[in-house]
Amino acid sequence: MSPVESGGDGGKWLDAHYDPVAGLYTFSSCVDLADLSGDGESRLVVGDLGSGSSGMKLKVYRGTALMSESTLLDLPAGLVAFFMDLHEPRIPAVAVASGPCIYVYKNLRPYFKFTLPSLEVNTLEQDVWQQVREGQIDPLTMKEMLESIRKKADVPLSVRSLRFLSLETEDMDEFVQLHKQQPIRRQTVITCIGTLKKSTADEDGVSCLVIGTESSDVYVLDPEAFIILSKMSLPAAPTMMDVTGQFDVEFRITVACRNGNIYILRRESDKPKYCIELPSHPVGLVRVGKNVVVGCTNESLQGFTQKGKKLWKAVLAAPITTMASMDLPTRGFQAVMVGLANCEVQLYRDKNLLSRIKTPDVVTSICFGRYGREDGTLIMTTKGGGLMVKILKRTAAFDDRDSAPGPPLAQSVRLNVPKKTKLYVDQTLRERENGLAMHRAFQMDLSRLRLAAAKAYVKALESSLTPMSSSLTEPLKMNAVVQGLGPSFKLTLNVQNTAACRPVMNLAISFLYDESLYRMRNPYMRIPLLVPGLIYPVETFVECTSDKGISDIIKVFVLHEGRSSPLLTAHINMPVSEGLTLN
Amino acid sequence: MGLFDKLAGWLGLKKEVNVLCLGLDNSGKTTIINHLKPTNAQAQDIVPTIGFSIEKFKTSSLSFTVFDMSGQGRYRNLWEHYYKEGQAIIFVIDSADKLRMVVAKEELDTLLNHPDIKHRRIPILFFANKMDVRDALSSVKVSQLLCLENIKDKPWHICATDALKGEGLQEGVDWLQDQIKTMRT
Repeated sequence: MSPVESGGDGGKWLDAHYDPVAGLYTFSSCVDLADLSGDGESRLVVGDLGSGSSGMKLKVYRGTALMSESTLLDLPAGLVAFFMDLHEPRIPAVAVASGPCIYVYKNLRPYFKFTLPSLEVNTLEQDVWQQVREGQIDPLTMKEMLESIRKKADVPLSVRSLRFLSLETEDMDEFVQLHKQQPIRRQTVITCIGTLKKSTADEDGVSCLVIGTESSDVYVLDPEAFIILSKMSLPAAPTMMDVTGQFDVEFRITVACRNGNIYILRRESDKPKYCIELPSHPVGLVRVGKNVVVGCTNESLQGFTQKGKKLWKAVLAAPITTMASMDLPTRGFQAVMVGLANCEVQLYRDKNLLSRIKTPDVVTSICFGRYGREDGTLIMTTKGGGLMVKILKRTAAFDDRDSAPGPPLAQSVRLNVPKKTKLYVDQTLRERENGLAMHRAFQMDLSRLRLAAAKAYVKALESSLTPMSSSLTEPLKMNAVVQGLGPSFKLTLNVQNTAACRPVMNLAISFLYDESLYRMRNPYMRIPLLVPGLIYPVETFVECTSDKGISDIIKVFVLHEGRSSPLLTAHINMPVSEGLTLN
Repeated sequence: MGLFDKLAGWLGLKKEVNVLCLGLDNSGKTTIINHLKPTNAQAQDIVPTIGFSIEKFKTSSLSFTVFDMSGQGRYRNLWEHYYKEGQAIIFVIDSADKLRMVVAKEELDTLLNHPDIKHRRIPILFFANKMDVRDALSSVKVSQLLCLENIKDKPWHICATDALKGEGLQEGVDWLQDQIKTMRT
């Protein structure tokens, strides 16, 4: 037991076991969990591919230890545990698909071997072998004849003939002598295997085996008699499949094929019902609820409905190595686990990445389910033959955060729109009925408003009252601030040149006021050069000479040297002086 | 207090102690408690506990009330509701289940960090159970895997037990009784 550092998974998984040298070389299709002894403890059943040419084994793990292993004759293509009968205690059988056969193990002992029916043999090919047997032709002629059959015939050659064609001339004679007496048979091989409940949806209901073959067929086998219950054909050889439903009621077989399409087969139809054309080849196929999640070679994960409608697409960081579903019925949680080539296993619910697990090696198979007595166990095997077991923490929670940028969450929150009141309805009705009159009244009022505004503007221009210069050469703006309580006031004029870049020069300010009321320190001031944009405060002091509590207007003129009309005028309403002059 | 205790002892009245019996499912909690009960009250068949059950047994000087909690994952969130009442904890570990040792450690850590437990000095008795199984881990190995040496602020003790035969149980209960007595005085 060597706990590994589990970085980045947010502390959701406990590292129960990691054996980097377990010597398990397998894929997700050859791994299953089943209670093989009926004691409530699930075992891990693995079809080990060994080195690919030798050392194929059926291995069973219990806890951290290898419990049993038995040699397999051929490379396993798939492995499933299933209930084949109703006998008590309920112990599932293990079916291993390899080559054209299914080996069924019960209590970990070989129980039954099922071989797929052989395919139709090319009659021409048969004739050629017949002639060879009778000694009418020599191997070289036979090679030529088989070569021509191979090119033309619709029925492909048998494995034996193909093998013969690949031989060197000196080996041919021996091969022919060895094989010419046996009749020719053409066999297909199994590419994928699945299980389909027969008549009940119970966890321990009897299941049929569903197998996909290289000859582009899908067979459903009876679990007790091992006869073919149903045969369906596909346009291409299947590679992966997912089966749901019950054979006697309604079922759906989703098959990913070697032509890059996914076909959906249903009961009472020997041809695919729906087809999903993928942009690139599928490498993983997982069903989550009613939807299908497909991993593609273009580093993407795509979701489809069971009728083949595309729902979403998520782009991944690295190529997919394997996929598996994570189903936790006790917590009502379903997700997809995706093993990536960058030593990571990512957990997706729909297109949202929920969590990621860093692994010390590239993961080649993933299996999630009940192992031992723990429901949420994740079992992974690595490229280097390692076995890794992680257990989901009881307290782990996956928050479904939408990582993809999109409309903010607030957008989907419904606004609390109040109900339509009677007043509102009446108003709408009125607007609908008298729309024309209302529009006219509005237009007339608008015209009047415009006229009034224009009149006021003209008046202001004529009397040069505006604090905004209308001159184009000296665009000026001014505002005046009066500070103080009296009798002495401070008058600040903020002058600004609003031109874009041209400065204004030779300006002066003069004041016009009632000399009996006010006294001003300097009623005429020169303004310095005005840089565009800056505000220049011009200050002066005004003294109220009257103590009668009256006030007047002081007129301010901004003048340009050499011109009689002011550029800008402003009327300042002086406040009433509240203090007395101290003479 | 001492005088009262002695008086109670003479009168045959024993001090009541509430003990929580925790541990993963199938670790042998109910079997252990069943073994500690008087012979005439022992059950023949042990079935998985649902929720929890309350059992009583007596030692030489104490009367134990044990909350035998279910260890199944879905009932483990019940445990914390009884932490307040517990004056001692019995934590049972399946020594033969190497795979789930991490789960036991996780549950123990959650227990020790719970606010109702964290700052109390309550004794914890560990039973490394199922010693009869062939490839069971030793009690030393179990305490190593559970990092028991990190428990500094509570008295704890680990016993290797076989609840089917009852081996090692008495040693643990004696220790627990001594601890409870020293805590009271």
